[in-house]
Amino acid sequence: MLVLSNFHLNLSPETLETIWLTMKLGFVSTFLSSLFGIPLGLLLERRDFFGKRIILRVNRTLMGFPPVVVGLMVYLLLMRRGPFGELSLLFSFPAMVIAQLFIITPIVSGMVCTAAKNAAPEIRTFAISMNASRSQTFFLLIKEMKHDIYFALATSFGRSISEVGAVMIVGGNIQYKTRTMTTAISLMRNKGDYSEAITLGVVLLILSFCIQTLMDTLKRYENNGENY
Amino acid sequence: MVKIIKLKKRIESFQLDIKGLFLQDKKVHGLIGNNGSGKSTLIKLITGLMRPDQGTIDLGGLRSKDITFTTQRPYMLHDTVYHNLIYPLMIRNQMPSKEETEKWLEQCGLTGKEQQFAPSLSSGERQKLSFARALIFKPKLVFIDETMANMDLESIGVFESIITNIQKEDPITWVIVSHQPAHIYNLCQEVHMMEAGSHLFSGTPKETGYFMRERHEKQWSY
Ligand SMILES: Nc1ncnc2c1ncn2[C@@H]1O[C@H](COP(=O)(O)OP(=O)(O)OP(=O)(O)O)[C@@H](O)[C@H]1O
Ligand SMILES: [Mg+2]
Repeated sequence: MLVLSNFHLNLSPETLETIWLTMKLGFVSTFLSSLFGIPLGLLLERRDFFGKRIILRVNRTLMGFPPVVVGLMVYLLLMRRGPFGELSLLFSFPAMVIAQLFIITPIVSGMVCTAAKNAAPEIRTFAISMNASRSQTFFLLIKEMKHDIYFALATSFGRSISEVGAVMIVGGNIQYKTRTMTTAISLMRNKGDYSEAITLGVVLLILSFCIQTLMDTLKRYENNGENY
Repeated sequence: MVKIIKLKKRIESFQLDIKGLFLQDKKVHGLIGNNGSGKSTLIKLITGLMRPDQGTIDLGGLRSKDITFTTQRPYMLHDTVYHNLIYPLMIRNQMPSKEETEKWLEQCGLTGKEQQFAPSLSSGERQKLSFARALIFKPKLVFIDETMANMDLESIGVFESIITNIQKEDPITWVIVSHQPAHIYNLCQEVHMMEAGSHLFSGTPKETGYFMRERHEKQWSY
């Protein structure tokens, strides 16, 4: 209990910066993943094409894949002597976003695909009956499935901010540049003074709780108001 | 005229096989037949929801955007009653007129429920709304697949008179699926009967009555 006795909530500028960077990473990664993941998920549900089963299986595999291995792969691609070494992206914010894209996009596409399997056939039939164009049908699908999509995005955001392995490897935990809440905690910079780590832990806990609350609300909304 | 010629479609163990079926323009057609005889499947093929294995469907110059259908379980957008009603106009960049939408809401018995969440409507209300939503953009060929099955008698009367009025003013082509002889005989000029995936008979309601009597189907006597 010696440790906790000299604990005080540490909200120094460095800590706040770390929190801000983590949130930024979460938003950027989730946003970019949704640009790829939502159309991919709808495409995978839509109809059979060559290689679809393989893509689906790869997608499902990546959903449960250890992020640290994804980090390693992205590291190998971005390192100075790697295929994309000239871009000098390693140990930067974009490198962390790229690694997280590989981790999160499969979550978005997998969840959207599962939701679309239930909802999309009826919506498409309706769109055909109204003679909606292709793009009108696409936007209608997104609109009608918006709660499923929010749910997938909230899950992805939660995954992004709580992920350690990949951002550690490709980001390098550089203060003000690539230090996120989880990597900061895992290093416990000031040995003996755990207040920053504990503060970050508490903030993460609160954030996760908020995301869970949001998802529960969405779930409840989803099941409400229908009279079938 | 819509011409369906040598149409074949196999779904698992079900085989639809129609040698020739013609739907004259601007008439009300009835489509009858037992459960599982292939009525909904035929509609899916004509409206392009499904591709035939063989055969041709000639829409006789109708464009696909003039065709619409209502299903046995209509889909309600997760939005208000009002937005469901005007959806077909919105996607055609047409402004809904207040009189028009109010007229439809009144005919559906949905006045005052414009802002209700459409999926929470009762099944009959949903069917009425889907009917109105299908007609509001003035299509030229309409398939009604048992959409009146859950409507109360008064609503059925309202929709029968809507159909009759449209036929008086600016007639369009209708294909109505129903299991109720009264429906078919009140509305239709021509009746087509399906049996086990085949087209068995076409004729006027009177001829259908004779045909049914021969087959000892008393409920259909005319
Ligand atoms: N996706 C499917 N998979 C397997 N069988 C199907 C499928 N769709 C239709 N069928 C079969 O095709 C047959 C015709 O179905 P259809 O829905 O056209 O009948 P219907 O005449 O509309 O019947 P009802 O009056 O009950 O609506 C049925 O025997 C049904 O089991
Ligand atoms: Mg049917």
